[in-house]
Amino acid sequence: MEISKLKQKSDRSYTIALEKQNALEKAKSRMLFAHNGHLFNADAETISLVKTLSEELGTFVILDVNDNPVLIEDPKALLDVLKSKNQEVLNSYHQLYKTITETR
Amino acid sequence: MKKGILVFCINTDLYRYDKIAQKTIPLLKKNLGLPVTVVTNFDTYNLLPPLGFVDYKLIDNQTGNFINNKPWHNLDRHRAYELSPYDKTLLVDVDFFCYSDNLLTLFDTDHDFLVHDQVHDVTGKDSYNFRRNSSIPMVWATLIFFKKTELAKSIFDMVAHIKKNYQFYCNLYRIDFPNFRNDYAFAIALQQIHGFVGYPVMPTKLATLPANAKVTSLDDQGITWTVEDRQGSIEHTDVHVIDKGVAYV
Repeated sequence: MEISKLKQKSDRSYTIALEKQNALEKAKSRMLFAHNGHLFNADAETISLVKTLSEELGTFVILDVNDNPVLIEDPKALLDVLKSKNQEVLNSYHQLYKTITETR
Repeated sequence: MKKGILVFCINTDLYRYDKIAQKTIPLLKKNLGLPVTVVTNFDTYNLLPPLGFVDYKLIDNQTGNFINNKPWHNLDRHRAYELSPYDKTLLVDVDFFCYSDNLLTLFDTDHDFLVHDQVHDVTGKDSYNFRRNSSIPMVWATLIFFKKTELAKSIFDMVAHIKKNYQFYCNLYRIDFPNFRNDYAFAIALQQIHGFVGYPVMPTKLATLPANAKVTSLDDQGITWTVEDRQGSIEHTDVHVIDKGVAYV
């Protein structure tokens, strides 16, 4: 392949990587939400933790993003928000990701 | 509880911040839907175009600070606590372009004071790694969320004290930037008021377009730029734009 083509390919890879990184940071920002005055991330780890604990405990304590303990008195309500927020954000990211990789 | 946004907008001899405010304040109003108060001086106020329902607080701003040998009117930020008419305030740099409602989340927290301690360079160059420029990690005073509480007041009062004695603190913390910088003043104040053992922060990264990226176009959806012959763009993402040329785009 000609060097100019290789450079184009390299440029395209760089642009896709950069736009993906920006889209990911945007998604991470949107995953943040407030619950009972505390900040949480609607990420996989938080969802798994809340789901696991809620299977055996009616109420429990978890840490917010700044490591403050929070008593969760309504696990189902929190889990619903976590799942909904997570999927809302990841669906947007998915759409954006498709646009980035398909239209370049 | 009254909630709102406070924006400092003071022109210098070189930069027309009123022209930047003309672009950023409508975005803040549209995407956050909160009342806005602009802190400005008389000269800048006279240049500001009508911005709709916006309150103004006129101050005699302090002068005498510089960045890259250019005047830098950043010496009144610690007065935000007394100047804010709100119980919960989002203090925003005038060159912050708000393209989402993400920041509304902060108003639902119990935190008294939050600030970013990480940035994300949207050009992918990681231009803002200042960790080795001081012995204290810097925070970004671009966006500050605070409530009218004793803790928040203590932090602002501490910043006022640090400002008065900035050279001492610069030497103490081995800060490479000799001119007063709010980012370091707030970092020092936060560390001291919280007993030198860390403090809560905004757990996201502040998206930033560095100075070498020149904004080529913008609308109410996002921004495009060029940097080193490459084009970039971002949509529906809040971004702090350092290039003051954005005033004329």
